[in-house]
Amino acid sequence: MIIDMIDWHRMLHDKRITLIYSGPLWSEGIGGIAGTLKKRLEFDALPMETSQEVFSVFVEQMNNMLMYSAEKEQFGATDKRQEESPKGTFILGKEGKTYFVQTGNVMKNASVESVKNKIDYLNTLNKEELRKYYKKQMKLPSGNLESKGAGLGFIEIARRISSKIKYSFVPYDEGLTFFSLYVTISGEN
Amino acid sequence: MAYKLELEKTDLTPYVLIDEEKGYMVFEGESYHENVISFFKEINEWLNAFLKTDFDSFTFDCELKYFNSSTVKVLLNILRDMDNSKNNKKITVNWITGKRNRIITECGEDFNEDLENITFNLIIKETKY
Repeated sequence: MIIDMIDWHRMLHDKRITLIYSGPLWSEGIGGIAGTLKKRLEFDALPMETSQEVFSVFVEQMNNMLMYSAEKEQFGATDKRQEESPKGTFILGKEGKTYFVQTGNVMKNASVESVKNKIDYLNTLNKEELRKYYKKQMKLPSGNLESKGAGLGFIEIARRISSKIKYSFVPYDEGLTFFSLYVTISGEN
Repeated sequence: MAYKLELEKTDLTPYVLIDEEKGYMVFEGESYHENVISFFKEINEWLNAFLKTDFDSFTFDCELKYFNSSTVKVLLNILRDMDNSKNNKKITVNWITGKRNRIITECGEDFNEDLENITFNLIIKETKY
């Protein structure tokens, strides 16, 4: 299948998208994408605070997707080890001085309620309250986090962004839901 | 024989040096592996054994530029273990960061609030990071 690149080129430009990754997620792969992201942020010559905020949102959401994505891709086409890697999509864009990060991954229906509740709660807190909540949560043993994993990760994201966390859950295959997340980071510190 | 460990930094994991003879440990670089617990396992095991011994002094320089939330829990546990150990008064932690590194600075401040026995120095450098 040949993709009409001029349409893609125009679409990416019109939607102000500067970096996209979609595919398998594994630790070293994320390290590699992180290198690309850092170079991209260097190009924009951002204040240290902004580039660190964007980078932190990238890392936490990549880690979230890596640990909880319910859609898998097999490692290596002819690999017989049957190793699988979770899949996810990450998009970074920039409108004016504001960066936006959008991510998408498939999750199990059973986890939707707790993720939704967690984000809804975080969206009610201001920055100082988020810092206190983070401090409280980091002291809990991992098993006691209020929702399975993604405990500190979502709080860290909420602390770094200039918006609330926007999200959507769309029915996917049986027993599965597609989760999208949208946040913005202000480039003016 | 005194324990010695040196790990080169990678994209995801920090440079680590432990020199038991000199009573010194340093972390430098970045830490954002999603399963950071396994990376720090050996370090934790050594540290927990070391903290039970009668050492003269111990210094931990933590000069990480960035770490993820999984690493936060590991670092907190390391500092708590030090703070609760029998020779806690002989331990100095230097939390070294750059003046514009808000994430690491705030984390150091939050950790420090709960540490009662060890000496915890928040050192903010004039560097870019």
